[in-house]
Amino acid sequence: MRGFWPIFKRELFALFVTPLAWVAISSFLLLQGLHFFLIIINFASAPADSIGDSGPVQSFFGQTMLLYVPLLIVCPLLTMRSFAEERRSGTIEALLTAPVDSAGVTLAKYAAVFVTYAAMWAPTLLYMLVIRMQNGEIDWRVVGTSYVAVLAIGGGYLAIGIMTSALSQNQLTAALLSGLAISGLFFFGLAEFIIPDGLAHDIATHLSVWTQMNDASRGLLDSRRLIYDATLIALPLFITTRAVDAWRWG
Amino acid sequence: MIDVQRLSKSYGSFRAVSDVSFHVEKGEVVGFLGPNGAGKSTTLRMLAGFLGPSTGQIRIDGHDISDEPVLSRQKLGYMPETCPLYPEMRVREYLAFRAELKRLPRKERARAVESISEEVDILEVSEVLIRHLSKGFRQRVGLADALLGNPPVLILDEPTAGMDPNQIRQVRDLIRQRGDKHAILLSTHILSEVEATCSRALVIARGKLVASGSIDHLREMRRASGLHVVIRGDRAKALEIARKTKGVANAEVDSHSSAEAFTMLTTYAVDANGAEAAEHLVASLVGAGIFVREVLPRAASLEQVFAELTQSEDGFGLSEQRAKTSDAQGVDQA
Repeated sequence: MRGFWPIFKRELFALFVTPLAWVAISSFLLLQGLHFFLIIINFASAPADSIGDSGPVQSFFGQTMLLYVPLLIVCPLLTMRSFAEERRSGTIEALLTAPVDSAGVTLAKYAAVFVTYAAMWAPTLLYMLVIRMQNGEIDWRVVGTSYVAVLAIGGGYLAIGIMTSALSQNQLTAALLSGLAISGLFFFGLAEFIIPDGLAHDIATHLSVWTQMNDASRGLLDSRRLIYDATLIALPLFITTRAVDAWRWG
Repeated sequence: MIDVQRLSKSYGSFRAVSDVSFHVEKGEVVGFLGPNGAGKSTTLRMLAGFLGPSTGQIRIDGHDISDEPVLSRQKLGYMPETCPLYPEMRVREYLAFRAELKRLPRKERARAVESISEEVDILEVSEVLIRHLSKGFRQRVGLADALLGNPPVLILDEPTAGMDPNQIRQVRDLIRQRGDKHAILLSTHILSEVEATCSRALVIARGKLVASGSIDHLREMRRASGLHVVIRGDRAKALEIARKTKGVANAEVDSHSSAEAFTMLTTYAVDANGAEAAEHLVASLVGAGIFVREVLPRAASLEQVFAELTQSEDGFGLSEQRAKTSDAQGVDQA
């Protein structure tokens, strides 16, 4: 973990000093704002007895494509630079010849994009405040589980992005590879609705981000899914540290 | 301080560096010389811990770079060849980042950055974005980075590349001043740079260490290979006189000569005393009524020195090579 703190600070700085993070975050928030607006309009105009037991928060986090599709684009954008740009420009040489270790470098870069990702979600907490101020009822348990799920799923996507960035020579390849990988995972999960039964169905269900978010939006956190998310974070990061070591010995 | 034992690096079947061993002690400034592609940067990258050696052992200040990688890297300041920097940072920010990365104590960082910036003369650009810096300034920021924290070992890969003559002089002065406090290994393909800054030189060619010795030894090898004489008068007569002069192996007219005066290029015989040959030549030319305007020694080029250093290995002698080039020029002239 040598070198974590200075690299973490520099990575955060690099993300926010370039327009990329701002563009990604603003677009994301614009889209989520629109999404939230439509949900509120929908709820406001719907007759009270047709709503049932779901509320705007549940609709924001569950049963919607509008939550995931931006993530499949934003996560690769946030991570594509991390290693690929350093290797392209050669700054990796100065970085790795400083007294740092591979784990420190990898985790610092990951932590920086993760914090950025969390910061990107932070303004959506205002939506909860908006509902609360309008005398809406909020189940804070649902809010809590939903954000945990959003961070866990995004955490995996970002780890995959860091890994593809370490395995690519340029940012575009890194973004495309991680975009493909996480879209593949996402759509593989959707197979649970296509394949009627059998092993493939079970696997798809188990890996389905869609179902995980639906559960979370109803206040359910399944430890098996969290372990899956943790694996999706730990494995790519482990591969990344091995890749960083491999550059030295390659 | 730097201890390299039987170092090799292979890329597939290509041996970029093979069986290189040397030491650099504290207080020494050692020049690492070689033509492009000789394996200089590969060797330095291995010393800096950026590339792993295929075989061999490297110790930096007593720490083996594969057993104690972090500790050994903490003992060295490394300036990579291309001097890559983060373009989006300001110079001071970058150096502060590097100081923290190198684990300088928090209280000392700002002062260290300040004093190092003053030493390499980049204070005036400390608030400038690195992307806006010229190549010479970038090189100096890289040098400042290498010097941060006063590491006992300095490894500089072509530190003066891309600088103007003034900056080169400053950097050479700085390296000389720093010489007794560190063990410094610097690579270059400019022979005069080694003469100006180093106490010792290692010469590498095709991945192998072909020579190692003091600067005087190198100077000796750089002795003039012949004379460059600008004269006015009878060409044929001048050439004849020159060829008869003791110690001169060959003479021909330079193809770039002007109509009025012409340039004669002479080549010393291999075992000739250059100084004597020059005296004799000028005396005989003047005696024969030929006007001599300029006499300049033709210093051995780096390529020739390298050829000389490597000749024993591939059996291709320097004099033979010189004769060949002379023949070619003679043909041009005809």
